[in-house]
Amino acid sequence: MPELPELNPVIHGKLRLALLSLLIGVEEAEFTWLRSKTGSTDGNLGAQLLKLEEAGYVTVEKKFVQRKPQTLYRMTEAGRQALTEYVQALKQLLGGAIGG
Amino acid sequence: MTANDEEMELKDRLSLIENMIAEGRRTTESWAWTFVFWGLAYYVAIAWTVWDQWPWAWLVTMASAWVLCWAIIRRKHKNQPEPKPATTIGRAIFSVWAAMGVSLALLLPALGLSGRFSQHVFVAIVCAMLGVANGASGMIIRWKAQIASAFVWWAATVAACFGSDDQCTAVFLVAIFFCQIVFGIYGMVCEARLRRQRGAIHA
Repeated sequence: MPELPELNPVIHGKLRLALLSLLIGVEEAEFTWLRSKTGSTDGNLGAQLLKLEEAGYVTVEKKFVQRKPQTLYRMTEAGRQALTEYVQALKQLLGGAIGG
Repeated sequence: MTANDEEMELKDRLSLIENMIAEGRRTTESWAWTFVFWGLAYYVAIAWTVWDQWPWAWLVTMASAWVLCWAIIRRKHKNQPEPKPATTIGRAIFSVWAAMGVSLALLLPALGLSGRFSQHVFVAIVCAMLGVANGASGMIIRWKAQIASAFVWWAATVAACFGSDDQCTAVFLVAIFFCQIVFGIYGMVCEARLRRQRGAIHA
């Protein structure tokens, strides 16, 4: 019987998983947009995004647009790869669970 | 945690990923109103042309509609609490419609100025172009209703090449009604439904 894969703990957090899934579909996203899509609080969202940034899964860019601060997040190639592997592992685990 | 709970949890994660990917890719801007707006603009242009017989009625109506549409979009963007992120899909769809707009804006006045304009050619070109734009957009976002709309435009393109002038106008009016007004209202209903389906995710 093949060994079941481990799930990446950085991605496994529900909010971090939602953030990576959101970012994979867009070129870049503002902090406020991510907040509105996830319904999360500023503090929690900031903390989870920091974890993703530390893992190298997202990059952050801070700039001013019309004198207003803007924080933009982009998914990195490593993040894309990690999410793909996570989904594969999840499907493999589910296959194992369904198969008994 | 039982095996069943664990399985539910994993399925929940998978469904979260699917929903978020769809949410991120979805062009969350409200665009369906533009179909209704342009449908009404076409009706105004047709009515003006029929009643006044002024050859530039179409050009003036379309130019005015462009300015008004641009002003509404600008105003909507200004009032948005947070700007929507750019997506490759969004840019692809915008490119298709922009290219169609430029093509029509160049071709139709050129046909008028060269004296090679005819009602049948005009309706056939507009219907074909709208068929291309709706077909391409529908295939990009895999929206069957928009692909169906493209087929109506293509059918109108073929029909516009035959019959009398009155029949040609009738074909155009019917195509506008179904593909702009009805489809636009349907799109607005779908957008409203999507806006209601939002929930919160916690770590």
